[in-house]
Amino acid sequence: MSTNTNQKKKVKRSRILLNSRVYAGLIIVSAVVVIAVFAPLLTWFPPLKTLVGKPFTPPNEGHPFGTDDLGRDIYSNVIYGIRTSLTIGLSSVLIAIVIGTLIGVLAGYYRGFLEDFLMRITDMTLILPQFLLALVIVAIFGQSFTNIIIAIGIVSWPGLARLIRAEFLSIKERQFVEAARAIGLPDSRIIFGEILPNAIPAVIPYIILQVNSAILIEAGLGFLGVGDPNVPSLGLMLNTAQQYLLTSWWMAVYPGIMLSMIVVGLNLLGDGLVEYLNPRLRKR
Amino acid sequence: MSQALNFIVKRLIQYIPMIFVVIVINFMLINLAPGDPTYILAGEIGDEEFIKATRSRLGLDRPIHERLLIYISNVLRGDLGYSYLRSEQVSKLILDRIPATIFLVLSAMALSAAVGILIGTVAAARRGTLDVTLSILSLIGISIPYFWLGQIILIVFAVYLGLFPLGGMVTVGAGYKGFDYVLDVLRHMVLPVLTLATFNIAYTTKITRASVLESLTQDYIVTARAKGLSERRVVFVHALRNALIPVVTYTGFNTGVLLVGAILTETVFAWPGMGSLLYDSIKLRDYPVVLGIFIYGSIIIIIANLIVDILYGLIDPRIRVR
Repeated sequence: MSTNTNQKKKVKRSRILLNSRVYAGLIIVSAVVVIAVFAPLLTWFPPLKTLVGKPFTPPNEGHPFGTDDLGRDIYSNVIYGIRTSLTIGLSSVLIAIVIGTLIGVLAGYYRGFLEDFLMRITDMTLILPQFLLALVIVAIFGQSFTNIIIAIGIVSWPGLARLIRAEFLSIKERQFVEAARAIGLPDSRIIFGEILPNAIPAVIPYIILQVNSAILIEAGLGFLGVGDPNVPSLGLMLNTAQQYLLTSWWMAVYPGIMLSMIVVGLNLLGDGLVEYLNPRLRKR
Repeated sequence: MSQALNFIVKRLIQYIPMIFVVIVINFMLINLAPGDPTYILAGEIGDEEFIKATRSRLGLDRPIHERLLIYISNVLRGDLGYSYLRSEQVSKLILDRIPATIFLVLSAMALSAAVGILIGTVAAARRGTLDVTLSILSLIGISIPYFWLGQIILIVFAVYLGLFPLGGMVTVGAGYKGFDYVLDVLRHMVLPVLTLATFNIAYTTKITRASVLESLTQDYIVTARAKGLSERRVVFVHALRNALIPVVTYTGFNTGVLLVGAILTETVFAWPGMGSLLYDSIKLRDYPVVLGIFIYGSIIIIIANLIVDILYGLIDPRIRVR
């Protein structure tokens, strides 16, 4: 009896701990979203406008993060860069969700040859270096905002497809699905009305982590110079900063802090939710 | 023995088609791209003669399925075209750079395995306040992007403290020989290896800790303690040994992440590997080299996964049956 309550206490404590990670993540992510949405209200220089200050000005009152080689205000660019990161992260993951769901559903629901074929493709894509593939796509098709989103979407689906297939395999065997089939619902109703909604909770933390990795891919591409020069981007800013590391530390420091903040927030939220939703991990 | 051989053959059959997939993806990208694919295969240059030569070499006037076969056989023979801008075979350019990248990857792998396993085991043995500090540190280690971490490390340790060189692999023009040369390379590799290893140290620590904690609850640990072994021996010899399998698996299958990390890190420290080559090629719009790095990078990752997969099966007979 006493060991039982003891164990319950332990479970409760670890639950609170996990919750605190989720909360910390939520706070950071909400702050980032607010910054992205209200970017125009938070800045006083247009982000890409050159010579709003003297080039290479260290941080001061007018330019809290200093200016870059072309006299652009780094603070404004960082704020708008957060907006770009989130936009690219969310839209590319949306593409990945569409492709991943389609493949995962087909493989998990219909099984047989189709499943083998689709899963073989998925496993192959999973081993390929996603970052390099996205880089090649953007480099060849042109460095535009849309192309970056599409490229990251194209390389981000395999993990999602596997996860959705696994969920489908287990949910398909449950009684309410049997019941739906027994009353003669069409496949499409069973897939989208019955199974998919029940698969969503397991997929959400993964999607959050996928947004994270999409944001990192975009930043990495930008850092290598594969970005859209007409859109403020944290990665591209670090690319420019690389040439002036010896003299202008502020060009690298501030965009990187913001980028790391976004990643920390999404990691906390995603990992926290994964553990929170997984009863096996919760007990430890 | 024949079972092991059977297993190896099976894995080879699984992995070899992937190399074809990579080549076909490349071919598709080249042909779907807007404009004349010749410019992607030759680079954005204005030399009509060279364009014409490239066109006939690749059979660009023939139907698409013939072109695919020509492309595959070219790539398999190691012929990835010619970098006009650098007047050099693309394959030679890349192959010259691969050793430096692999050297960086393996060094970071060794460092992160050693440090990560040590910290992870200690953390599992004595939980408590160390746990919280450690999980915060590993969160930060996992979250900071390679390239920014590299820039910050460079600013602090090379620019402001002046402890290490700013970049490169050797001091240019110093002409060191023998032991001095080794020392010089070591001095140059400290910062890039540290940058590349940070993420893996954090991750290895996390996995080791969880794995050691789990094996500490096993019966044989009770036996080891009952025998009167010292706690250190129980943790580091008995528990750790059995906890290592997931750590080794992670380290092996993570080669792909490390390779991409190396490519980004090299750019920061001007380390003369594939990453620096990629960075310069993007700037010059030298597409044949960019595509070549994708092919070679993918093949390296496929081979690394294959090796780990086979070793893993040989170590653990249970996996072979699958």
